[in-house]
Amino acid sequence: MADTLLKVEDLALHYRTRGGAVRAVDGVSFDVKRGEALVILGESGCGKSSLARALMRLLPRNLAHHGGRVRMGDTPISELSDERFRREVQWSRMALVMQASMNALNPVVKVGEQVAEPLRELKRWPRRRALERAAEVFQRVGLPLDFMARYPFELSGGMRQRAVLAMALVAEPELVILDEPTSALDVLTQAAIMNVLKELKRDLGTSFILITHDVATSSELADRVALMYAGELVEACSAARFFGEPAHPYSRLLMKSVPRLHERERPRAILGQPPSLLDPPTGCRFAARCPERFARCEASPPAFVPEGGTGEGAAESRHRVRCWLHAPSRGGEHG
Amino acid sequence: MTPESSTESRLPSLRRARLRDLRHLLLFAVRRLVALLVTVLVGVYLTIVVANMGGQVDELRLVQIRSEVVETVRADPAFFDMPGEERNALVERQVALEVERLRLDQPFVVRSLDYLQRAMSLDLGRAEQMHSDRGSREVRDIITERLPATLLLFGTANLLVFFTAVFAALRLSRHYGSALDRTVIALAPSSAAPGWFYGIFLILLLAFLFPLLPAGGMVTAPPPENRLEYAASLIRHMLLPVAAMFFSSIFVSIYSWRTFFLIHSSEDYVEMARAKGLPSHRIERRYILRPALAPIITSFLLMLIGLWSGAIILEQVFNWPGLGSLLFQAIGHRDTPVIIGGVVIFAYLLAATVFVLDILYALLDPRVRIQGGRR
Repeated sequence: MADTLLKVEDLALHYRTRGGAVRAVDGVSFDVKRGEALVILGESGCGKSSLARALMRLLPRNLAHHGGRVRMGDTPISELSDERFRREVQWSRMALVMQASMNALNPVVKVGEQVAEPLRELKRWPRRRALERAAEVFQRVGLPLDFMARYPFELSGGMRQRAVLAMALVAEPELVILDEPTSALDVLTQAAIMNVLKELKRDLGTSFILITHDVATSSELADRVALMYAGELVEACSAARFFGEPAHPYSRLLMKSVPRLHERERPRAILGQPPSLLDPPTGCRFAARCPERFARCEASPPAFVPEGGTGEGAAESRHRVRCWLHAPSRGGEHG
Repeated sequence: MTPESSTESRLPSLRRARLRDLRHLLLFAVRRLVALLVTVLVGVYLTIVVANMGGQVDELRLVQIRSEVVETVRADPAFFDMPGEERNALVERQVALEVERLRLDQPFVVRSLDYLQRAMSLDLGRAEQMHSDRGSREVRDIITERLPATLLLFGTANLLVFFTAVFAALRLSRHYGSALDRTVIALAPSSAAPGWFYGIFLILLLAFLFPLLPAGGMVTAPPPENRLEYAASLIRHMLLPVAAMFFSSIFVSIYSWRTFFLIHSSEDYVEMARAKGLPSHRIERRYILRPALAPIITSFLLMLIGLWSGAIILEQVFNWPGLGSLLFQAIGHRDTPVIIGGVVIFAYLLAATVFVLDILYALLDPRVRIQGGRR
């Protein structure tokens, strides 16, 4: 597919700890088309942020394993050396807005300089030109231009978040990864930032990966949704399908746990805790909390396969589920 | 996209911001200067009151003057055949003269302000009993004679410790958890013992068991005429005390700086800089060192302040003619002018250091400059 921007296969990121390897990202595969917004949903600790780090090669000191194949356009970026990745991909093609970006700006450098910095450092643009480009993205994210000469502590939280967003956009990347971009903000500021994101998506044709635990916010931007659970993706499908009629039991329970304004039904919590990523269960990782589990679920792990069996076009289908209920043939071996 | 022209026309706001920064900085500097002068004034005045024991030292001085006058008059052959009453009158006249000269007839409050004014204008007066090695009774001479010795010794040692520690710590924080890192941490408790403690062992080892270096003093006696030889002798005498101070503080300094850099390199903005794909030397300079510079400079200047006073025991152990031992002797002799002079000079140097620190802070950290100027 020519319009596929990012193709991720079997991405893994394991941390080394005293208790053994924590498999925070464990064989994740998905793709993002140009101009598409993919929301990666998941509860705390499921490995969402680690996924963003694995993509950006922001590896921790206690790294145990980092693997998988990532292609961006025609470039197999997972094959590049760290130095080439830094020069050719990082920030210029793929940018990241990190969680906790309240503190993501250097306190002693003016905001405008920081936004312009990637251009000056990575693309060797002259200062003046870089600042002018920074001014452009400032306007794009709705920041007044005189904020360029201010220091981060002079900006409110929402303004800082916009500045970080401006920094992500400054080098015109094809993909922007947003890791919980609004979780530190109040509701009104959240809404304002989401509106900025929607405008950017409409006007720039940039692809987005939005990582969040907030089902309601994610629905505003999403073209597609991938649901993550215990280091794995359990379902990936179009936003309409996910918010309407998801296939995986976890997705269905998750949708029922969201409070809705115009429905009689009260939100229901999902009972239980996610499994430890130190030693995940051998079978389906959701089995222990799943109301629809059967013998097979705890015995062997289901694969991440196209939903709706092995019929024509199923392999092309972008709706994938990791569940024995949706396995190609219920009686066959997994895989 | 925005039209280029509008972007162009609004960019000069950066220059306006720089002017604003400068104005804040000036305001801040003036305010700090006034505050520091008041601090020095109060500090020096308190020292004057305390060192004179609230005027009681003057009572002692009066008694001393009288007995001295009596002694000189009695010992002088010219007055041997003077009648007793006349001699007493002479003594009274002489005492009165001396009292008037020292203005001891004024109440202490008035005199203390007098002392204060003289101390603040660095007119330190004459010592009661002590004198400089060249024989001068001027407090200023006594102190300036000792100051270079202290500065030389402690400056060398502390600068060495400071820069070694900061650079070694930066290296260690890059490879933290390595064998070298763990060794330094294991050695850090060695700093529990003070410099003079190591000094004693070094003297024992390198001056007596293996007589390679001099055990104490500043130069050989008599001092060499040739400048080069003088410097060589000085360096030989400095080796042991500098080594003692270096070993007593180097490991704990590296340890604490390393922890400091580790904390600063786990800030979110450092992570962000890594995500931005900035080269690691740039991250280190601009995202770790630059925001951390204010505390680094603080500790550097605090170290400099420590230099001004010397160290009493270390100077005694190495028989080093510095300020520490001078102050110790002055306290022993109750030589008020010398004590006050020492404190005045220390207070001025302290205030100057703090002022430099304030300005540097404001230059380095916009939060200090802008909010400090706005308040």
